[in-house]
Amino acid sequence: MSEELVTITVDGREIQAPKGAMLIEVTDKANIKVPRFCYHQKLSVAANCRMCLVEVEKAPKALPACATPVMEGMVVHTQSAAAKAAQHSVMEFLLINHPLDCPICDQGGECELQDVAMGYGNDVSQYVEGKRVVLDKNIGPLITTELTRCIHCTRCVRFGEEIAGIRELGMTSRGENARIATCVEQTVASEMSGNVIDLCPVGALTAKPSRFAARAWEMMQHASVAPHDCVGSNLFVHTLRGEVIRVVPRDNEAINEAWISDRDRFSYEGIYSEDRLTSPMIKQKDEWKVVDWDEALKFAADGIKSVLTQLEQAEIQDDTQSESEDSGEVVNKTNPADKIAALVSPNSTLEELYLAQKLLRSLGSGNIDHRLRQSDFSDQDAAPTMPWLGQNIEDLEKLNAALLIGSNVRKQQPIIAHRLRKATLNNAAHISFVNPRVYDFHFPVASNIAVAQQQLSAELALIAAAAFKASANDVPDHLKKALSGLKPKVEHKAMVSQLKEGENTTVLLGDLANMHPDFSVLRVLAEAIATQTNSVFGYLTEAANTAGAWLAGAVPHRGPAAATEDVVQGSVFAEQNPDAVLLLNVEPDADMVNSQAMIETLQQASRVIAITAFDSAALRDTASVMLPAATFAETSGSYVNAEGFWQSFKGVCQPSGEARPGWKILRVLGNLLDQQGFDYVSSDEVRDELRSQCENIELDNTLNNAATIKINGAAAELMRCGDVPMYSGDALLRRASSLQQTQDAQVICVRLNAAEASRLGVAESDSVLVKQGNSSAQLSLVIDDSIPTGSAWIPMAVKGNELLGDAFGEIMVEKV
Amino acid sequence: MGGVMMNKIAHFIKSFTLWELLKGLSVTGRYLFKTKVTIQYPEEKTPMSPRFRGLHALRRYANGEERCIACKLCEAVCPALAITIDSEEREDGTRRTTRYDIDLFKCIYCGFCEEACPVDSIVETHIFEYHFEEHGSQVMTKEMLLEMGDKYEKEIAANREADAKYR
Amino acid sequence: MNTTDTQLSKQSCAEIDALLAKFPAEGRKSALLGALNVVQHENKGFLTEDLMDAVARHLDLAKIEVYEVASFYSMYELKPVARHNVAVCTNISCMLMGSQSIVNHVENKLGIKLGESTADGRIYLKIEEECLAACAGGPMMQVDHVYHENLTPEKVDEILDGLE
Repeated sequence: MSEELVTITVDGREIQAPKGAMLIEVTDKANIKVPRFCYHQKLSVAANCRMCLVEVEKAPKALPACATPVMEGMVVHTQSAAAKAAQHSVMEFLLINHPLDCPICDQGGECELQDVAMGYGNDVSQYVEGKRVVLDKNIGPLITTELTRCIHCTRCVRFGEEIAGIRELGMTSRGENARIATCVEQTVASEMSGNVIDLCPVGALTAKPSRFAARAWEMMQHASVAPHDCVGSNLFVHTLRGEVIRVVPRDNEAINEAWISDRDRFSYEGIYSEDRLTSPMIKQKDEWKVVDWDEALKFAADGIKSVLTQLEQAEIQDDTQSESEDSGEVVNKTNPADKIAALVSPNSTLEELYLAQKLLRSLGSGNIDHRLRQSDFSDQDAAPTMPWLGQNIEDLEKLNAALLIGSNVRKQQPIIAHRLRKATLNNAAHISFVNPRVYDFHFPVASNIAVAQQQLSAELALIAAAAFKASANDVPDHLKKALSGLKPKVEHKAMVSQLKEGENTTVLLGDLANMHPDFSVLRVLAEAIATQTNSVFGYLTEAANTAGAWLAGAVPHRGPAAATEDVVQGSVFAEQNPDAVLLLNVEPDADMVNSQAMIETLQQASRVIAITAFDSAALRDTASVMLPAATFAETSGSYVNAEGFWQSFKGVCQPSGEARPGWKILRVLGNLLDQQGFDYVSSDEVRDELRSQCENIELDNTLNNAATIKINGAAAELMRCGDVPMYSGDALLRRASSLQQTQDAQVICVRLNAAEASRLGVAESDSVLVKQGNSSAQLSLVIDDSIPTGSAWIPMAVKGNELLGDAFGEIMVEKV
Repeated sequence: MGGVMMNKIAHFIKSFTLWELLKGLSVTGRYLFKTKVTIQYPEEKTPMSPRFRGLHALRRYANGEERCIACKLCEAVCPALAITIDSEEREDGTRRTTRYDIDLFKCIYCGFCEEACPVDSIVETHIFEYHFEEHGSQVMTKEMLLEMGDKYEKEIAANREADAKYR
Repeated sequence: MNTTDTQLSKQSCAEIDALLAKFPAEGRKSALLGALNVVQHENKGFLTEDLMDAVARHLDLAKIEVYEVASFYSMYELKPVARHNVAVCTNISCMLMGSQSIVNHVENKLGIKLGESTADGRIYLKIEEECLAACAGGPMMQVDHVYHENLTPEKVDEILDGLE
C-alpha cells in the first residue's frame, strides 16, 4: 500500500507516520509514552478523558494526542512544562471524585488510574470538598459495578456499541451527575460482555466471580487456549497458589484480537465445582467405592481383558458348535474386539483423542467416535480429511457475502460472529442465514430464513437450484433428481447473486447443520452452492477440537491423518452393541444427540470405563469405573481450531485431588493392556507422533464422490429441534456457576410458535407432556414466534431432557 | 644498656608489690560503689519504646468489626514471606480475609506490615516472650491474631497514640 | 414488539415524522430532541420511561440513547411535575439584578422550594441551571416557554396569579 507519509518531530525525534494517523498511534508505535484512559486501539476516539494532552508547537493550547491527526512538520513535546502542567491538572480533576479505596478495589495493582497518577499526577490535591457517590447497579452475575470509581472514559459504552453490537450501557445526566447506566438496571446480556472488565481503566467494572479473591501482583500468569468453541481463543490463566482465579484474553490479532467470549472467560469456575471427581472410584455390587489409582486402573484394564477373553471363548465354543453342525464350512468370524467401543468428547485434547484411538485400534477395534451429537453418517467417506473453516478467521472480516446454514454463530462462536460483524460494518457484507429457527444477530442480516428442521434441506435445495441457474452450469447427476423442477424464490436468488457478485464470499455449515438428521444432504447442497457461486466452503465445527479429532483419527472409518489403509475400521456408535465402553470426558445424559438411547446402550454393556473430570448421577448409573481426569487448565495438550491451527498449551496448575491428565491415564491403560508403543513421557511426544503423520495433509473441504441425494419431504407433523445452548456445550460449562445464572443459560422448556400452540390447544407457561416413543417428560411451554411451524424447540444438554430421545426426532406435545 | 637494666628493676618491684593485682582490684572496687544497671529479669523489666516490635495482633474497631480489609499489602511488603492471606466477599459485600496466617519462624519482626497497613489493623505488640511446643504452632492464625488484638487493645491504642505525633 | 408497550399518539407520531423529514434518512437520531419535546408537551410537561422507550422504538434507537439525551438536557423533566413550568433565572446577570429576592418571594408565595410542585398541581418551580439569554432584562423568568423580564415582586404576583 502506498500511504502518504508525513514527518513529525516528537520530543526531538523525527518520526515518519502515515498522514491522518492520530498522534497517539504514532507515539505508541515509536514507544513514546503518552498517558491515556479513554483511548483504546480497538475502539473509536472519544477524547473525553483529556489525559493524553501534549504540547504541539504553534497550537495555542495542549492538544489531545488521541484526537490530533499528524501533519507534516508538526513538532510535539510530550514532556515539556506545558504538557506536564496539562497532565497534572487533568489528573487532579480526574481524582476529584475518585474514591481512595484502592486497598479494597480489585483493580488495585493493575489499575491504569493508579499507574498514571503515580507517573503523571501531583502529590497533593487542592480539592477538599466532599466527593460524590454513585449508587451501584446490578448488571448481572458476571460483572460487579462500583460506579463511584468511574472516571467516565466511556470505553464500556463504546465497546457495547462498536464491538458487542448492543447498546446497553450509556452515560446519563451530565456534569457531576454523569454516570454509566444501563436501561433501568438491565442485565448486560452480551456474549462478550466480560471484555468491559479488561477495558475499564479503573475498578468501576470488575469480575464478579473472582471478586476479592486475589490481588494482581500475587497471581501467576500462564498462557493457555480456550477449550470450548472452534475458535481457540488465546487466553492467559491467572492462578494464585495453584488455583485458577481468573481468565483474561491473550492478544492474538489472527484469532481473537483483544477479546474473548464470556464462555471462555468464566468457564474456569467449573474446575472447582462440587461434583468434581477427585479420586478414582469403582462400582462393586452396585456400590461406589473410592479406591487408589492402581486398583482402579487394574479394574478398568481387567474389565476390557475379560470382555475380550469371554468373547473369544464364546466364539471358540460357537465355532466348535458350528463346525460340528456345518462340518467345516467357513464361518464369517466376527472380531471380538468389535465389542469394545470408545466415545470421546471433541473438547478433549489432541493427545487424549489420539491415544484413545490408538488404544482402541491396537486392541483391534475401530469403534471410536467423537461425533457425539451427529446423527447422519451416511456420507462419512466423502468427508474431507478435516472439516475446517476453509479460510483464516482473520479473512472473515474481508467477506462481501456469506451464507451460514444451521448456525447461531453469535452465541456459538462469538469471536467469529464479531469478525462477520466487522465485515458487515466495513464492507457492507451481505450475511444470510438458513436456520431451523429465527436467531437474533448483532449485525444487519441480509436474509434470515427460518424453516422447520424437517424442511431445512428442501429450503437449501431451492438455493442450490438458484445457484445452478445463475451459474448456468449443468446440474451434476447426484443432484439432478433433487433439484429438478424447483422454483427458487426472490430471496433465494438474491442470496445467490450476493454470493456470486461478491469478491470474497463463503458458505459455512454451522453446528446445527452438523447435528441435523439430513446432514449429508445439507452438506452436498451447501458445497454445490459454494462451488456454483465461487465461494469458499467451510465448516463452523462444534467444539474446541472437532477438527483435531478428525486428524487424530477419532472416527471409526479413518485412522490418524485420515489414513484408511491398514487402519482398523469400526462402525458408528448407534449401530453397535458394545460390551465394554470407554468414555472420555463424555456425559451420557448431555453430550449425545439421543441421550436416552445412549444410556440404554451403556446399561447393557458389562464394563463402562469413564475417564471424566466430573462425577454425575448418569455416570454413576451407567459406568463401572470412574477415573478422575484433569480439565483444560490442569493438563498439557493441544487443540486444532477451525482454521486448522495447532495450538499447544501447558497445564497451569495441579489437577484437583487425585485427578490426572487424560493422556497419562490412557497411556497407563495401554501399558496395563500390554499394548506396544505406549511409553510416552510427555504429551509433546504424543503430539509430535501425530504431527509427523499429518505433515503431508492439505486441507480441502471438497466433497469426494458425493452420493445421490434425496430430499426428505415427508415428516411427522411436529418434529423436535433444538440447539446446544452456549453455556451447556460441555461438562465444564454446565458446572460454571456464574455462567449458569445468566440469561443465556436456559432452563429446560419447550418452545412453540403461537399458531402451533393453538393447534395443540396449549398456552403460555402451561405444563405440557412431551413424548418421544416410550420416553416422555413434563416441561413448561413458552410461546416463541421465532420457532417455525412444525417444530417443537427443546434445547439439548440442559438438565431435564435426558429422558427424551432423539433431539431431532418426532415428538408429541400434549396438555397435561 | 642502662635502659634494659632499669626495666628489669621496675619489673621486679611491680611483681614484688603485686601492683597489677591491685590495679585490677581497683576497677572492681570502683564498680562496687557505682549505681547498679543490671535488672532482675524476669522479675524486673526494661522500659519499652511504643514502637517496640513484638508479637503480632489484628485489631478491631470500637464497634467490634475487624479492621482488616484483606488488601494484602502486608503480604506483599513482607520481606520474609511470612504472611499468607486468603480473601473473599463476605455476605454483607465487604472484602474480608478468610485466612490470615503469620509464620513466626519466617517473620523477622521488621514492622513493614504495620507500616503498610492502611487501616492500622495488623500491629506488632510489645509481647516478646513466647514459645512453641509443637511443630506447626508457630503459625499464628487469624483467630489467634484477633484474640491478641482484643486482649491488648488498650496498650496497642496507647502506643499508637504516643507515637502518633512522630508519624 | 410487545403489545403492552406504551404507544405514541397519532398526533405525536405525525409531528415526529414531520421532524424526521427535515433530516437525512440515516440521521434519525437528529430528530430526537424535537421528538422528546413533542412527547413531553403532550404528556403535560414530563417524560416517563415508557414514553422514552416509545420514542426509541419510533426513531429506531437504543433505549439508552434516548435516556442519555433526556437526562442530559435540563429542559426535559423525568419526574411528574405540575402544569405550569416556572423557571426563575439565577445566573450571573439576573443574580446581580436581584433574582434571589424574586426566588424568595416566589417560594414564600407558593409555599414550596425550588424543584417542587404545588400541591394543587398548578405550578412547578424549576431549578434553572442555565442562563436563559435575556440578560438585558434581568431579573427574568420563563413561564411555559414565555419570557417575563424586569421582574418585581408585584409583577411576579400578577403573572403567577394569572396561571390556571
